[in-house]
Amino acid sequence: MTAILALLRKQTKDSLCNFPALMVMLIYPAVAFVMITALGSEEGMSGMFVTMFATMHASFAPLVTASNILSEEKEKGTLRTLMMSGVSRLSYLVSEMLFVVSVSMLTGSAFLAMDAFTRDHAAAFAAAMLCGTVLSALAGLCVGMTSRNVSAANGMAVPIGLVTALLPMLARFNESLDRAARYLYSGQVSRVLESGELSGEFAAVMAVYAVLLTGLTIFLFITESR
Amino acid sequence: MTIVKLDGVTRSFGEKQVLGGVSLQIEKGEIFGLLGPSGAGKTTLVNILTGQMPCGGKAEIFGMDCARIGREVYRRTGAVLDNCGLYERLTCMDNMKLFARLHHTPVSAIAETLRAVGLDGSEGLRVRALSKGMRQRLKLACAILHAPELLFLDEPTSGLDPATAEEIHALMRRLRESGATLFLTTHNMEEAYRLCDRIALLHEGRIVEEGQPAAICRRHGSDAELHIVTSDGKELSLPNLPENAGTVAALMREKKLRAIHSAEPDLGTVFLRLTGKELTQ
Ligand SMILES: Nc1ncnc2c1ncn2[C@@H]1O[C@H](COP(=O)(O)OP(=O)(O)OP(=O)(O)O)[C@@H](O)[C@H]1O
Ligand SMILES: [Mg+2]
Repeated sequence: MTAILALLRKQTKDSLCNFPALMVMLIYPAVAFVMITALGSEEGMSGMFVTMFATMHASFAPLVTASNILSEEKEKGTLRTLMMSGVSRLSYLVSEMLFVVSVSMLTGSAFLAMDAFTRDHAAAFAAAMLCGTVLSALAGLCVGMTSRNVSAANGMAVPIGLVTALLPMLARFNESLDRAARYLYSGQVSRVLESGELSGEFAAVMAVYAVLLTGLTIFLFITESR
Repeated sequence: MTIVKLDGVTRSFGEKQVLGGVSLQIEKGEIFGLLGPSGAGKTTLVNILTGQMPCGGKAEIFGMDCARIGREVYRRTGAVLDNCGLYERLTCMDNMKLFARLHHTPVSAIAETLRAVGLDGSEGLRVRALSKGMRQRLKLACAILHAPELLFLDEPTSGLDPATAEEIHALMRRLRESGATLFLTTHNMEEAYRLCDRIALLHEGRIVEEGQPAAICRRHGSDAELHIVTSDGKELSLPNLPENAGTVAALMREKKLRAIHSAEPDLGTVFLRLTGKELTQ
């Protein structure tokens, strides 16, 4: 527990000094804000921008941040130093998960301020964002665990992030993409953000991804410790 | 008390055997030096001892199998290793605070530790702004902050200027005085000779000689030649033959003989004789 708190403090300070990392966390809320301010007066535009950019934020930011943090720790040898200071791999991963999810949710909460949400809509929004963020962060951890250094991690995380972030948006314009996006967790997040209602389909897709990604994380956790 | 115990430790990378059965023991309170040329397997052995790498044979620290060491052992050890880094974007103080918290050491101990390594006044500097010597001192500070009983140092002074190296040596001696055990690797024979209580010479994954540095040199000294130091500071070498007895006796009669001993090689020469290879890189 002490270790997790110490790591969270370290990570907060470190990220505040890391401009690219801050950008990843802030870019989508910022762009959405600018677009809405510029074009939002048109009917339905602000809702569409919020859905689009919030989906991108939930799929891209946690994925890239988590994979970057872990792979940088490996590349710079700080992870070794931590392990030799008695930090267990589990508490390291827990602290990183906590950090990435809370920061993404915090910066993502800016979207709530951009649209006139009803209370029900806001609750569904928060739930969908949380699910999407946790899954993306888990995927980021998996990428980080399999990569030796930051560039290898980015090489994997960026394409995955682009697919999960952009497919739900492109699905608006193409029916077959829309069908594919239904099976993508970010596609489901996008649907909930748009409709403002949680659905059974959303729950089912989230559960499947949660099982898959948790399984992969545990598998990598065990094989890596050999 | 035995702190480190190795018994027939082996390690291969693919086909290549790097350690071919290393056995040694390190007792509490000594500075032990592992001496060997580049590629001898020094870092590999440190990685095994610090639980980062599996091995064949038996490797134990504090009576615990190295492959299974956990938090309790890490609390009692510190390490300054090449492959272990610090947080570049954070300041010296923030790095130290992190390790203080991880080791449950009061934050108030940081100032004293930074002073001990000569980094007082640099608390607010970011690590990426530090010179190589300062970084090494900071690594050392992080490693000794929790007053470990056993400290691993992999070439702690390589690439540092002689003055900084000497300061680090002084600190290592102080740590020994306070009861810590130190395990260091080096290919600097001078460093090993002056600093270490005991050394082992590692060559191609085997220990070819072990003992006190001076004793090793004596063991490999030849008595075919005598070294004489006279009272006015002159040094001369004489073949150890009956016809030179007169010269020695004359010096003694005139009270000019200060020292007489066998011709002892330095560690580098011992290494060369044992292996046919130079010790330095
Ligand atoms: N992870 C690894 N994979 C493959 N070979 C390795 C690995 N680590 C070390 N080796 C090999 O093991 C041998 C010993 O390496 P080691 O780093 O232990 O030497 P060293 O004595 O520390 O040398 P130096 O004084 O240069 O630091 C080298 O030949 C090296 O190529
Ligand atoms: Mg080495």
